[in-house]
Amino acid sequence: MARRSGKPSNVRLLSRPSRLVMWGGVAIGLAFFLLFGIAPAVANIAISLTDYSGLAGASTSFTGLDNYTTLFTTQWPGFVASLGDTLYFVVGVTVVQNAVALALAHRLQGTGRTATLLRILAFLPIVLGVTVVGIVWLLMFDPQSGPVQAILGHAGIHSAFFGSDTWAMPLTILAQVWQNLGFTMVVFIGGLKAIPPEIFEAAAIDGVTGWQRFRRLTWPLMAAVVTVNVTFAVIGSLTTYNLIYILTDGQFGTNTLGILAFNTAFGNTADLGLGASMSVILLLLAILVALPLVAFLQHRERRLLA
Amino acid sequence: MQLSRTLGRSRRRRALAGIAAVTTLGAAALAGCSSSGSGGSSGSGGNADSGTLKIITWVNPPAVSALTAINKEFEAKYPKIHVQLQTAVNVATGYANLLQTSVNSSSADIVTTVDQLQPLPLNPTRKSETPTQFWSTNNVFADLSTQPWAKNLNDTAVKAETYNGKLVGLLSGVYQELVFYNKADFTKYGVTPPKTWDEFITLMNTLKSKGVSSPLWLGLGSGASVYVTRFIAEPFMNSLWAPKASGETLAQALEKGDLKWNSPEMIQVLQREQQLAKYLEPSYTGAAWQDMPNAFAQDKAPMLLDGSWDLTSVQKANPTMQVGSFALPGSNDPAANQPVANQDLTFEVLNKAPDKALAMKWMAFFTSPAIYKQYVNMTGISPIMKSGGPYSSFSSKVLGPLFGQGFNPGDVLPALSADQGYWDTATQWPLLQESVMAGSKTPQQAVAMYQSDWKTG
Repeated sequence: MARRSGKPSNVRLLSRPSRLVMWGGVAIGLAFFLLFGIAPAVANIAISLTDYSGLAGASTSFTGLDNYTTLFTTQWPGFVASLGDTLYFVVGVTVVQNAVALALAHRLQGTGRTATLLRILAFLPIVLGVTVVGIVWLLMFDPQSGPVQAILGHAGIHSAFFGSDTWAMPLTILAQVWQNLGFTMVVFIGGLKAIPPEIFEAAAIDGVTGWQRFRRLTWPLMAAVVTVNVTFAVIGSLTTYNLIYILTDGQFGTNTLGILAFNTAFGNTADLGLGASMSVILLLLAILVALPLVAFLQHRERRLLA
Repeated sequence: MQLSRTLGRSRRRRALAGIAAVTTLGAAALAGCSSSGSGGSSGSGGNADSGTLKIITWVNPPAVSALTAINKEFEAKYPKIHVQLQTAVNVATGYANLLQTSVNSSSADIVTTVDQLQPLPLNPTRKSETPTQFWSTNNVFADLSTQPWAKNLNDTAVKAETYNGKLVGLLSGVYQELVFYNKADFTKYGVTPPKTWDEFITLMNTLKSKGVSSPLWLGLGSGASVYVTRFIAEPFMNSLWAPKASGETLAQALEKGDLKWNSPEMIQVLQREQQLAKYLEPSYTGAAWQDMPNAFAQDKAPMLLDGSWDLTSVQKANPTMQVGSFALPGSNDPAANQPVANQDLTFEVLNKAPDKALAMKWMAFFTSPAIYKQYVNMTGISPIMKSGGPYSSFSSKVLGPLFGQGFNPGDVLPALSADQGYWDTATQWPLLQESVMAGSKTPQQAVAMYQSDWKTG
C-alpha cells in the first residue's frame, strides 16, 4: 500500500534491462561470497569437529568436541599462552595505531605539498603488502647487519630484536601499526575535514584553543570515525597471522591465536582439525569482542554528541 | 517511437551482453578452479617423450643451483621436455605448505622432502607419523625399487627409504652437521680442534681471553629453531645419553618408556646447551640462518655450528678461506663424539603425478653416474651411490675422513608428532630448549615438561 501511495522505489525507476544487470551483478557477487566466504567458514566449523589432517589418503573421523577439549585443558598449554599474546598484540596495535594515526592526521590534514608528500609516505606501506613490509622490518632490525643495530651499537646496545623475548612483540606491533597507519590516518583526516570550520571559528572567538579545542570539540566530533578505526584495528589485529609468520613465525612471545591456528593446521603436524577449532574460537572471539566494542563506541558517540 | 524502441533494444542487448560477459567470466573462473583440481588428481600415466615436468623443493641455494643446472642438461638431452622447478623458502614453514598442497592436489610430478621415513613410530598412525611418513606408508609415493638405478644405491639409502619392501624415495645424499673452524684463526690464536667437551670449553675460553667476543656462530633467526635440535641437541644426546640405552636405540628406549626425558643425562644435555650458548654471538636467536655462511666467511667468529650444505656458500663468499671441521663434542669420551650424518633432500614421485613416466625419466637421468657426481660436487653432499667418485667438492676436502661419516639422528630422537603432547611436537621441542639456552627455563623444568607431555608407544 505504501508503495502505491508513496514514491516508487529507486529500483522501480530503473528500466527492466538495467534491473537485470543490477540483480545479475548482485547475484554473482552473492554467489562468490557464499562460495568463497560463507561456505569455507561453515566447512571450517565442520572440520573442527573432526581429526581431518588434509593429507591425501588419510581417513577422517568425527571427533565431536575433542579438539576443543584439547585446547581448554592442560594438553595444549600453548593455546592459553597464545590468548595472552593475542590480547597483548590487539591492545598494543589498537592503542598505538589510533594514537599515532590521529596525531599524524591532525598534523597532515593540510593541502600543502609537504603535507601531501608525508601523507603519501604514510600510506605507502599499505601499497607494499605484507611480505615486503615484513622483509623491510627484518632487514632494518637484522641484529648483525641492520641499520638499527648499527646505530644502537654505538651506544653499546645489542639485541636479537625479532629473536628476543623482550622485543619481538613490541616490534611486531610496531610493524603492524606501520603497515596500517596510512589507512587509519586517512580515515581520521576524513573525519577531521567533515567537522564544519565554523565550529572552530566560534570556539576561537570564545578563546578555546590548543588541547582544550581538541578535547572538547575535535575528539567528540570524531566519535564516529574513532568507532570505525578502533573496530578495524581490533578485528584486523585479532586475525593477523601473515605478518607474524614472516617476522617471527610465532616465536618469542608472538604466538597469537591466528599464527598458532595457521601453524597447527599447516605446519609439520598437519592437524587441520585442531587448527580449525582454533580458528573457530578466533571467530567467536572476534564476534565477542567486536559486538560489545561497537555497541560501547556507538553509545559513546551518542553521549559525546548529546 | 521507432528510435525509442531501437534504443531500448540496443540497451537491452547491451545489458544482456553485460550479464553474459560477467556470467561467462564467473563461470570461467569457477571452471578454472575445478579444472585445475580435477586435472591435478587424475593424471598418473603420462608421456615420457614430451611435456612439462614439475619438481618442487625448498630454497637451499647449492641444491637449487645444482638442480637448475641438471634440469638444463635434461632439457638439452630431451628438447621436447620442459622442467619447472618451483621453490619455497624455509623447509619447515613455507615449503611445508607447498609440499602439502602439491601432494594433496597431485600438482607436482616430483616432490622433495627432508623428513626421514625411518625410524617409523612404534605404532604408526596418522597422528604419530609425520606427513612424509604418512605419505610413504599410504601409497602416495611411487615404488622406485624396480627402477634400474635402484640397485646402485648403498645400504644407507635403501634402508632409509624402504617401507614394506617398497623404495618410496631417492635419498640424494647425507650431510654432516658439526663445527667448522677457520684454520687461519686457530693458527693465529694457537689453538687446536678439541676432541672432548672439556677441551671445547677450554678452547672457547682461550679464544675469549684473546679478545674473541663470540667464538662460535649460529643463526636461529627467521624460523630456524630446528637447528637447536639438529646441531646441538642430537649430538649431545648421542654422546651423553645414547650409551645408556642398552640393546636398543635411544629413540626406541624413549618410545617404549624404558628411558624417560627427565633422566640425569637429558638434564646434562640441556645444561651443556645452556653453557654452550654463552659462547655464541649475543643475538644468535635473531641472526638469520641464511647469513651463517657469510658471517663465518667474513670472520665474525672463528667457528661455525652448521651443516656441510653451507660449505659451498662459505667457499663462494671467501674462496681463499681454509676451513677445518670437528664433531661437536658433548662428551669427555672422544669416541662418543660423532658428527650428525643427516639424510637430506629426498626425491619422491607421486603415484598420482600428472606425468609419472616423465618423472621416472628424470630420476633415471639424475642417478646416471656423471650427473649424480655433478650434483654431489655442486652441493657438497656425501654420496649414496655404491660406486662413483672420486668427488672433488669443497666439503669433501673440509670434512676429510669425516666425509659421509656420523650417526643417524633417527636413532636418537624419536618421532615428535601431532600425537605427542604440546612440548613434544616437532615445533615446540626446540623452542623449549631455546628457552633453556636463554636462561628463562631451567633444564629441570624443561625435562619435566617433555616428560609430562610424552606418550609412550
